[in-house]
Amino acid sequence: MLKNYLLTAWNVFLRRKLFTAINLACIILTLVVLLVVTAMLQEAFYPSGVEHRSNRFLQVHMIEATNEKHTSLSRGPLGYRVIDKYLKPMPGVEMVAAVTGIEPTSVIMNGASTEVNMRHADAEYWRVLDFKVLAGRVPNEDDVAQGRMVAVLARSMAVKLFGDPAPLGRQIGTGGQTFTVIGVVQDALHLNSYADMWVPITTYPNTSYRHQMTGRFFALLLARTPDDLPAIRAEVQRIAARMDFAGDPEFTSAQIWADSKIDMFARSLSSSKDSNPDAGALVLSGIAALMVLFMLLPALNLVNLNVGRIMERSTEIGVRKAFGASNGQLAAQLVLENVVLCLAGGAIALALAAAVLWWLEAAGPIPYLRVGINFAVFGWGLLITIVFGVLSGLVPALKMSRLDPVHALKGAA
Amino acid sequence: MIKLDKISKTYHTDKVQTLALKDIDLHVRKSEFVCIMGPSGCGKSTLLNIIGLLDRPGAGNIHIGGLPVQSYKDKHVARLRNDTFGFIFQSFHLINDLRVIDNVELPLLYRSMPGGERRERARAALEKVGLGARMEHYPNQLSGGQQQRVAIARAMVGQPDVLLADEPTGNLDSKMGAEVMDILLKLNEEGTTVVMVTHDEAEARRAHRIVRVFDGQLVA
Repeated sequence: MLKNYLLTAWNVFLRRKLFTAINLACIILTLVVLLVVTAMLQEAFYPSGVEHRSNRFLQVHMIEATNEKHTSLSRGPLGYRVIDKYLKPMPGVEMVAAVTGIEPTSVIMNGASTEVNMRHADAEYWRVLDFKVLAGRVPNEDDVAQGRMVAVLARSMAVKLFGDPAPLGRQIGTGGQTFTVIGVVQDALHLNSYADMWVPITTYPNTSYRHQMTGRFFALLLARTPDDLPAIRAEVQRIAARMDFAGDPEFTSAQIWADSKIDMFARSLSSSKDSNPDAGALVLSGIAALMVLFMLLPALNLVNLNVGRIMERSTEIGVRKAFGASNGQLAAQLVLENVVLCLAGGAIALALAAAVLWWLEAAGPIPYLRVGINFAVFGWGLLITIVFGVLSGLVPALKMSRLDPVHALKGAA
Repeated sequence: MIKLDKISKTYHTDKVQTLALKDIDLHVRKSEFVCIMGPSGCGKSTLLNIIGLLDRPGAGNIHIGGLPVQSYKDKHVARLRNDTFGFIFQSFHLINDLRVIDNVELPLLYRSMPGGERRERARAALEKVGLGARMEHYPNQLSGGQQQRVAIARAMVGQPDVLLADEPTGNLDSKMGAEVMDILLKLNEEGTTVVMVTHDEAEARRAHRIVRVFDGQLVA
């Protein structure tokens, strides 16, 4: 029976090529977009690659300082003093790392200027994150303590500057300083790890950064286990309440937040000052709802197309009824045709999504992107598509299967 | 075999009620060849459809093989159609998306039967109507007469007790019509009950009995 159904479906699809193409296009487009978007979201928020420990670290990216009368407000990255004096001594954390945000700078090499995204980082940064070291080494406590003028390059930048994936010992001049390359790491696009070049925090030309409450730094707080994260969040709130702005007449109090990646994204969307532990979940729910809505549009389109397609086949339905098909068997046949189409669309979408992701990596519209197909998402996407396929086929199938066979045979659907 | 008792059927439209059949009593015996005749619109096809359980009467009782069937639900009616009846239509009603062999196999799909046995029985039915060489063709690659023979093969492949034919020669020339008639008579000789609607007196005379319908009533 299945073979007969599939044969009929195949011939119907071939006979109505435009309908088949439109249906397939809807399914493929939906799944490809879903897969690509999910791959990007996974890259951004899921513990993976360099930031595979992100399920047990929190980020403090922002300080909001004000005075008692609220006549002055400063909102931005942390000063190093906040990390050094308040966060590093925190109980209950395994390690606290300090790193600046991206600091664009120019490197003059062989007479040509190259824009380089640089970060200053302490030694803990290299232990909280897990860079893949391709050549040499990353800075250690001694390099940072001694303020050694050493640099680590991302592989693509090493090749770009020196034409060599391992230019160890070569010199880089920028901002009037010269650094010696001691290591090369694999390119990474994650939030805290994206950069072309890293140098020790202590290589700033002066030490004024050490006394600043607001500045250019982020802190990464590594917990011993993911279960410790709520306690660390609470501790950061307590620390914020007792921060001392001695010597700074402009500010008297400040607020800081320890966020997971998704919470931080949620905070940036809402500009919320409150510490809402459900914000990340709300964002994820919002994204999921948008995806479902995105899939609903082609599903409605499929319903519409299917009504027309099945109506045309009333004579066949009448014949099948005359020869013993029950309403249920007919509905199953018509729904199966939709499911087959969805599966075919899913297979094509998988290949296309892989091609799109490969292009995104290879052609480089987003530097350092490393993305792959998430088969769990593909499975769910395909399942949802099939469910929509079933639903979109079910309404017209039930309607047609209940047709009076005499009317169906006359083609009077 | 088939017993209709006081069968009536009225079609309702928005403003008009049309009486298609009125108080029809008919008894078709096993292995009988019955022709239903009458002018266009007199209710012949409606009567055939009610016998074949494709349509439901407005009033009256139907007994198939001694069992009252008018209260059967869809699933049981489908089973009964599959087991008891084979239909032959004036305009063949073959599924153009399927090959000839797949069309003939169709009634067997709704039975629990291994695929190999289905295929073998469909092949045998096609050979019986002289189309063993056309199994892989599609219906629109065949002539009208060949298509009707495929339709007969489809109707008989399940070895039904009753063949119901609605003007099976109506769309064929006289030579092809005679071929189709010969096949039906042969099947009847082998024991299959045949109920056929026709306009052709010559064909009807070859049947055991002629039933005439006029304005929805039996007249002879």
